[in-house]
Amino acid sequence: MRYDSITDAIGDTPLVRIAPEVHGLRNIDLYAKLEMLNPFGSVKDRAAWNMARPRIADAQARGATVVELSSGNTAKALAVIAGMHGLRFKSVTNRMRVPEIKDLLLLLGAEIEELPGQTECLDPGLADDPLTAVHRELTAMGDAHLHTDQYFNERNTEAHAAGTGPEIIADLDGRAPDWFVACVGTAGSSTGVARVLRAHDPGVRVVGLVAGKSDFIPGIRDIDEVREVGLFDPAAYDAIDAVSTDDAVEGMVTLMRRCGILAGPTGGAAYTGAVRRLRAVDDTLTERATAVFIVCDRGESYLGYVRRHRPELFGRAAADPNTVASVSAAEAESAAALDPAAAREWIARRRPTVVDLRSPFAFRALHIEGSINIVDEVFGELVRGGLPFGRRQPVLLACPVGEQSARYAALLARMGHEEVYSLAGGIIGWRDAGAPLVAD
Amino acid sequence: MDPTPLYLEPRLDEPLASLVESAEFLHTLTDALGSPLNILLPDQAAANVERFRAVFRRHSLSGEICLAHKATRSSAVVRRLAATGAGIDVASLGELQHALGAGFTGDRIVATGPKDPDFLWLAARTGAVVHLDGLAELDLLAELVRKHGLPRTRVLPRLSGFASAGVRVRSRRSRFGVPAAGLDRLIDALDRHRDAVDPIGTAYHLDTTSLDEKALAFEGCLVALDALRRRGFAPRAVDIGGGFGTGYLADAAQWERYTTELRRAVLGERQPLTWGGHGYGLRAEGGTLRGALGLYPAHRPLSGPDYLDRLLARTAPGLGRGLGALLLDSLGDLRIAPGRALLDQCGLTLAAVAEVRREDSGDTVVRLAAKADDIGLEDHGVLVDPVVVPRAPAADPAPAAVYLTGSLCLESDLITRRLVHLPRLPRPGDLLAFANTAGYCMDFGATRAQGRPGARKVAVHRDAGRWQWCLDDRYWPIGRTGGTPA
Ligand SMILES: Cc1ncc(COP(=O)(O)O)c(C=O)c1O
Ligand SMILES: Cc1ncc(COP(=O)(O)O)c(C=O)c1O
Repeated sequence: MRYDSITDAIGDTPLVRIAPEVHGLRNIDLYAKLEMLNPFGSVKDRAAWNMARPRIADAQARGATVVELSSGNTAKALAVIAGMHGLRFKSVTNRMRVPEIKDLLLLLGAEIEELPGQTECLDPGLADDPLTAVHRELTAMGDAHLHTDQYFNERNTEAHAAGTGPEIIADLDGRAPDWFVACVGTAGSSTGVARVLRAHDPGVRVVGLVAGKSDFIPGIRDIDEVREVGLFDPAAYDAIDAVSTDDAVEGMVTLMRRCGILAGPTGGAAYTGAVRRLRAVDDTLTERATAVFIVCDRGESYLGYVRRHRPELFGRAAADPNTVASVSAAEAESAAALDPAAAREWIARRRPTVVDLRSPFAFRALHIEGSINIVDEVFGELVRGGLPFGRRQPVLLACPVGEQSARYAALLARMGHEEVYSLAGGIIGWRDAGAPLVAD
Repeated sequence: MDPTPLYLEPRLDEPLASLVESAEFLHTLTDALGSPLNILLPDQAAANVERFRAVFRRHSLSGEICLAHKATRSSAVVRRLAATGAGIDVASLGELQHALGAGFTGDRIVATGPKDPDFLWLAARTGAVVHLDGLAELDLLAELVRKHGLPRTRVLPRLSGFASAGVRVRSRRSRFGVPAAGLDRLIDALDRHRDAVDPIGTAYHLDTTSLDEKALAFEGCLVALDALRRRGFAPRAVDIGGGFGTGYLADAAQWERYTTELRRAVLGERQPLTWGGHGYGLRAEGGTLRGALGLYPAHRPLSGPDYLDRLLARTAPGLGRGLGALLLDSLGDLRIAPGRALLDQCGLTLAAVAEVRREDSGDTVVRLAAKADDIGLEDHGVLVDPVVVPRAPAADPAPAAVYLTGSLCLESDLITRRLVHLPRLPRPGDLLAFANTAGYCMDFGATRAQGRPGARKVAVHRDAGRWQWCLDDRYWPIGRTGGTPA
């Protein structure tokens, strides 16, 4: 397959059958539409390109910035498309809570602006939803922008009505599936596909999935938030179900580990939501049926998100006996410690290595003359990997209040260091005792 | 009427929960003192200080916990806190005088907000810490100190408009504080006024629930602390103000359901839930919702001390270490000034049912012996059901959906524009107890419109299972609640 431009590689994604032993449905063939295999990584490539394409030449002539409210995938696609055409791209959002995606967008050259959070005191002057507020702001900016407006732009839906939907029918040998299940963000993909499937076969049942109100699933909205979306029409769906973070992660893991599909959270949510719906009808079927769900994007960008919800999926670090966490309160309590006066005397006499465990930022501002700075996290690594001093070296450990240093002193003593003390009361105690501190 | 009632039941912890159950006691009070009536639990405010203090301890931090006085006008609460280790944040001359009169010494007071010369003079005279809202205020304060031979005054410059790297974090424009970008000019000015003022740290207060914005501001204050140090000052504190929030509702599911149904009502998909189809800021345009829901997030999974804990644990966006750890590393003290969160569960407002009327439209209207401005929940965007405190037990209480109106001769005198679902239809003579009003929702905006008296305030405490009470301004924290010494 040879292309002149990467944008020509958008679309024509595979439809892959999920093995029945994975989903356990007896009478239904379940297929995943792998939108994750689009070149910029998601279902949004189609919409972004379809919305931007007709306006790019004009934007280039005006030197306009491409602007969109997007929490991730649309921004990713638009950042690439803008970059390829020599345009700047700015994403305005209050929903971007996945750090890896933020970093990726910055790498792709996007500018990101985060909208402020809700006020703590009620301010009746703040009357606009973010979408309306940004619309107003863009109008004030004049022609210097190309706003793709994904929540209201019919070309978003059309991209799927022209591409995603017909591809599904073609891959099912000219038949619409009996069920179609998709997560709802802008509603573009679900509405566009549903339109085509229904036109082909009015009997198709369309299930839209939204996040539960207390769940956060990156890329989609909850049942209230979808009501702010211009493209969203409740009549486009036969049912709207809520999915949870657990559903999303559980589905991701199944798709990854059992199907070889490296799906992101909404792909996982769509799988779980689809199977839950279908299981309820499976036994009542007398003929074979088919169902299709969308895998919107890939899982690699969501490692932090998954780790927060299911740390055990990442396994536990091999037990290391020498971690500061292994030091008991009693051990720390009985660690050798010197109060500021005694410490000053000992420093003058023994010339120990004084290790300050605070952050470099605070160390630069004020520290004990001659001390060296190894921030506690790094010190913890060194304890395991190899300390830059020997066991006979006299060492004074210092932290803000003497708690962390006592734990490390106990740990080093346990490891055979002969002359390690903790500064009792820490640098704060040292300061309060009137002992000198210097700045860099 | 919609068959499933949309309750928004208040979160009631002890001892507020027991107080609401004490029907006879509450009726005795309102019979004697009239309706509406505000009831305060000063001991609960002291307990809340302890809960915040525990978070300080968890992060090994020392510093000050100040009540943002603006949230309450109760003398009992202020006097009770004067008897603890807490401080107080005053935002006017009147609040400063009140705090001093309640037993706070100047060293435990911080003066915030826009300041007139008289307010500045009394603050400096009594040794209070002064938040600096701008360079002009600094000049004015320094001039007062010199001219009137006042002691060198401890100040906390309040900063705003913090810049972020990589991702631009927008904050709403604040009317207060010195832009962080102008820090150098501020330090120059502090240097010029070194004889008159002593910057003991830096401050911010942001009116947002967003931890990201606050993390950015917190880090900005740490950087500013360092800048002050480099210029030869000895600052020690970061004051992060208030805004930790309170959860008003007991049940997340009720709040989620209510807000969804409200949106459906605005879109015309169900019967209205409000007087005249009011949308609380939402409107429908072509089947799509527009506008912003102008409501306090009444159910909050994270608020008060837990919110502070989370903020301290949060990684500073630039310095890449926990904010609490960074502050501690910098040998700094933490200062906070919560209003709403320190007054959580500290009071309730009672109003007597004056009339229950069934209108031709089918609506039931319950008129209260109170004005809308006596019950400030709605004004502050807080939706929460009152608890019916019956005068006599009803044979078989029937659930009801009612509109609550005030007793002003004014169409707009609605206690709430929301149709309120109650497990029993109130009857004249019953009381409605609006819980958790002590922060902002008690007397913040109460008026004497149409010659109606304001609510009286009483302080209560529980002693060996019995409720004791006294008028708010007769309360002193000396082991009894008014009346005769035990
Ligand atoms: C990861 C992810 N899943 C699902 C969706 C939903 O797609 P649509 O916007 O077409 O409803 C999006 C879109 O923003 C997305 O980014
Ligand atoms: C400077 C300052 N500190 C503290 C507060 C108290 O805020 P809250 O009641 O939300 O905790 C306010 C409120 O406006 C304030 O302006």
